[in-house]
Amino acid sequence: MSDPKEKKNENSVNRSEKIGVYVCYCGGNISDHVDVEKVRDAAEKMPGVVVARTNSFMCSDLGQDLITQDLKDGLIDRVVVASCAPSLHESTFRGAITRANGNPYIYDHANIREHVSWIMHGEKATFKAEKLVGAAVGKAGLLEKLDPIQVNSRKHVTVIGGGIAGLKAALSAADFGLNVVLIEKTPFLGGNAAMLDKIAPFGEKASDLISQLAKSVLEHKNITVKTHCRLVGFDGYIGKFDLSVKTVFTDPSDHEQHPGHFVPFEGVETDTVVEEIIETGAVILATGFKSYRPDHGEYGFGKHKEVITLPDLIKQVGKVEGSSTLELDGRKIRSIAMIHCVGSRQIPGIHKEDENGYLNEYCSRTCCSSVLFMANKIREQFPDTNIYDFYRDIRTYGRGQEDLYDKASENRVVFFRFDATESPQVIPSSDSDYPLQVTVKDGLTFNEEIEVPVDLVVLATGMEAGDISDIVSMMKLPVGTDKFLQEVHPKLAPVEMAVSGVFLAGTCQAPMTIGEACNGAAAAAAKAASLLGKGLVELDPYVAEVDTALCDGTGACVDACLADGALAMVDGKALVTPALCLGCGACVAVCPSRAIDLKGWSLKQYEAMVDMIVAE
Amino acid sequence: MADSQTITCDALVIGGGIAGLQTALDLADQDYSVVIIEKDISIGGKMIRLSKVFPTLDCSSCITTPKMSSAAHHKNITIRTYCDLKSLTSDNGQVSAHVTQNPRYVDEDKCIGCRKCEYVCPVYTDDLEQGGFSATKAIRIPFSTATPQVAALATKECMLCGKCEKVCPTNAIDYFQKAVDFRVEAKTAILATGFEQTPIEGKPQYGNGNVDNVITSLQMERLLAPHGPYNRVLRPSDGMEPDSIAFIQCAGSRDKSMGIPYCSRFCCMYAIKQAMLLSGSLPLADIYIYYMDIRAFGKGYEQFYQTAKAMGIQFIKGKVARVDAGENGGAAVHFEAQDGGGVTTENHDLVVLSLGVLPDWNPKGICPVSTGSDHFIQTVQPSIAPTITDKTGIFVAGAAAGPKDIVDSISEAGAAAMEAANYMNALGR
Repeated sequence: MSDPKEKKNENSVNRSEKIGVYVCYCGGNISDHVDVEKVRDAAEKMPGVVVARTNSFMCSDLGQDLITQDLKDGLIDRVVVASCAPSLHESTFRGAITRANGNPYIYDHANIREHVSWIMHGEKATFKAEKLVGAAVGKAGLLEKLDPIQVNSRKHVTVIGGGIAGLKAALSAADFGLNVVLIEKTPFLGGNAAMLDKIAPFGEKASDLISQLAKSVLEHKNITVKTHCRLVGFDGYIGKFDLSVKTVFTDPSDHEQHPGHFVPFEGVETDTVVEEIIETGAVILATGFKSYRPDHGEYGFGKHKEVITLPDLIKQVGKVEGSSTLELDGRKIRSIAMIHCVGSRQIPGIHKEDENGYLNEYCSRTCCSSVLFMANKIREQFPDTNIYDFYRDIRTYGRGQEDLYDKASENRVVFFRFDATESPQVIPSSDSDYPLQVTVKDGLTFNEEIEVPVDLVVLATGMEAGDISDIVSMMKLPVGTDKFLQEVHPKLAPVEMAVSGVFLAGTCQAPMTIGEACNGAAAAAAKAASLLGKGLVELDPYVAEVDTALCDGTGACVDACLADGALAMVDGKALVTPALCLGCGACVAVCPSRAIDLKGWSLKQYEAMVDMIVAE
Repeated sequence: MADSQTITCDALVIGGGIAGLQTALDLADQDYSVVIIEKDISIGGKMIRLSKVFPTLDCSSCITTPKMSSAAHHKNITIRTYCDLKSLTSDNGQVSAHVTQNPRYVDEDKCIGCRKCEYVCPVYTDDLEQGGFSATKAIRIPFSTATPQVAALATKECMLCGKCEKVCPTNAIDYFQKAVDFRVEAKTAILATGFEQTPIEGKPQYGNGNVDNVITSLQMERLLAPHGPYNRVLRPSDGMEPDSIAFIQCAGSRDKSMGIPYCSRFCCMYAIKQAMLLSGSLPLADIYIYYMDIRAFGKGYEQFYQTAKAMGIQFIKGKVARVDAGENGGAAVHFEAQDGGGVTTENHDLVVLSLGVLPDWNPKGICPVSTGSDHFIQTVQPSIAPTITDKTGIFVAGAAAGPKDIVDSISEAGAAAMEAANYMNALGR
């Protein structure tokens, strides 16, 4: 025991003898498979535990009151909650402790739902739950009071994407008083909505909506709009992000660059490339969607010029004026087939996967209403044009949408229902009077085989996630199996990303209508406002800490560090910049003298956890 | 009426369901002071009464209780339960509400939620919180996670035996409690008044609620809930474990005969969810869903539907014409089979009606906001600002502005909070 280093470690052990353990039934989610009372009994006998209690929902007010009361009574000074995943309720219980004037970091969480009751049954489940609670108790005994890292945040938001959602998010945040930079890669504001004519179901003109929003954005004193602008670098942390953006006045992928030359229909090309840093506090992603492009031959697309997509039809019909007969490309259109779910609701084993083995299994949400809106418009404007609608399910779910469906029936749109296993076939017509025919087994007439001769086939193409792989990898964003950006939780944190300080707005998250996108955008702006409004952001203090007395200055930790700038050698000793530290522990593993450790997750605490797990 | 008082705040939220709670929390987190008024004796709305929620199958309590708790403890939020809104006006940047708080015959400040009164009360009455399938007492805390944890006495059932008064350790029982009038003066108000289901009595073709073992979807939520009336799924008439269970979709929606032409939006998904949960608790049962269109439109919903199909849940396309008493205490479902089978009758042990959705509150005579032809609150910019009503200063969120699932309600609640905050900013904070 003459080694001074050893001695210091011994002295630092100061176990709490006042641990409270709170075991949750989670209704029956836990108690159906884990004997919660047995876990409680076991916990009560663990070293340092003074009280162990159960409740049907520990996260409820009543459950939280158990904890706050014990803290206020001075009965306990460390808290262990055994319940669901900490991602759900760690902050709930820290909040409860704070309310009882406790330090929120005297708390540890045992996950006995996702890690136990949802995957195991019977005695084994109870045994594992006891072990996990034991580990948490072991750790809790060594927990110390910590202070969150406070960083001054910038009252500034960057919105990426200048479509409807981006415009709405920028406007909402700016009205709140935050400074906003809106970056958009194209020269235009309005995004995909600008491709539309009128909006289902109420018929507002897309151009009016975009103009109204864009005007407010462009005139707003708190908003700077940067078009032709791309994100090229992402750095920093919540409250203090540094975004590198590059302004490129032409898109080099479109054609070869000829700076200074006149490009037909574009103007004089410039090579001005401005790179700069945007100093911001939060980021709202509003990068939108891309319209599904059918495969060559899918419902005859690309093979027959009479097969077009719904966006094509909207564009073409929008140009027809003043006539009561529908003519496209000089052809009179007597009948149109509209086919739903093209590129949406694809089913493994039935639909053809793309080259990466991928299917769009989701519903694109907006196409049913768009199809019916367009069908009604055509039937009302061009009564001689017949519409045949081929669908799987009509999903006119929203307010005003079912009216479109009713109206389509009144307008004598003819419906055919098909099963995903037997999609309609688009082939040259046997009737020489028509270029194409659609054959279908119609579920509405007892699966009768029906041939419909048509002049035009319109494919209701769905939405796909936009190609933002550069942003995704730069910002390390989670992406769902549907390739859209993945929120933290659809109900608890629907517009938040796992990267703190980054929010979601609109169709980069999932297919949605303009109204829904605007709701998401305003909700994201609300979160940014709550976050940045106070000018101060708190971060968890789970960061590396150097014991300078023990540090031998080998620099191994700096080499191992995964976060740029988080660790440096200063005067021969390692120095941590807490706000940048990820708390990953890579440095702890390589330090030869155990001089660096993680606050709140120290080696001693780990050892205590393991001791409890292996204890008889 | 007792003496009236006035509460002053920035924002008044009408309704303490999930939309109201989320709006209130978002505003309070931005440092606005918020008052929530709730008509029920607990906040939590419809969501706290559900079992698990689609498409993640999270337990509903696990999502709702923490939001209820944070609202109850938030330094910027004041909650008043058991309230009726008598009037709500908004003029020149000033919102005024006249509210009556109904007597619960228990002093809210004194009650400690010990439930001794409930245990000692000799009067048993139908527990509507459990779909009417079990009993509760005349004085009770309505459910285990109710917020606030304050008992309430139902005068209709109470026989004034005085036992609760004697047992109460804090002398909180007050048989002479009166309704209290108060005013709320605010800058803005958000309507988050939610929905109710169409009455089961409203559809004679489906038995008007008189056919045994034909239940509502909210009753099925209770049968499936972790704290349900039986702690397992049994059919109510005779306690039999059902082998064949059917869901009837659009039982009150998309139905002009009921005056509800619109889609109720979330019934497809909850029926699929309930079917999935049932196949977990009753692995041998056959489960059928009679539908017109399956509307699985949200994020992950279609995949959820396809999973249900793969699990063996039977989806039968067809609008059910009639439901009446069937064999062995079950219910007979008459429908036109679209696979060519013609008019068909199937017998099921238990039938669940996916009832339609109606607004829970009518502003007529109380608040000068317009409603649409569907009677939900009208919004004036449905595309770019879906939470703005036709009355300046009054906003709307969630199912009050049309049927909406939880995900969409929460998103809209966030949007309403932002619009309301910016409206207040424009007034000058």
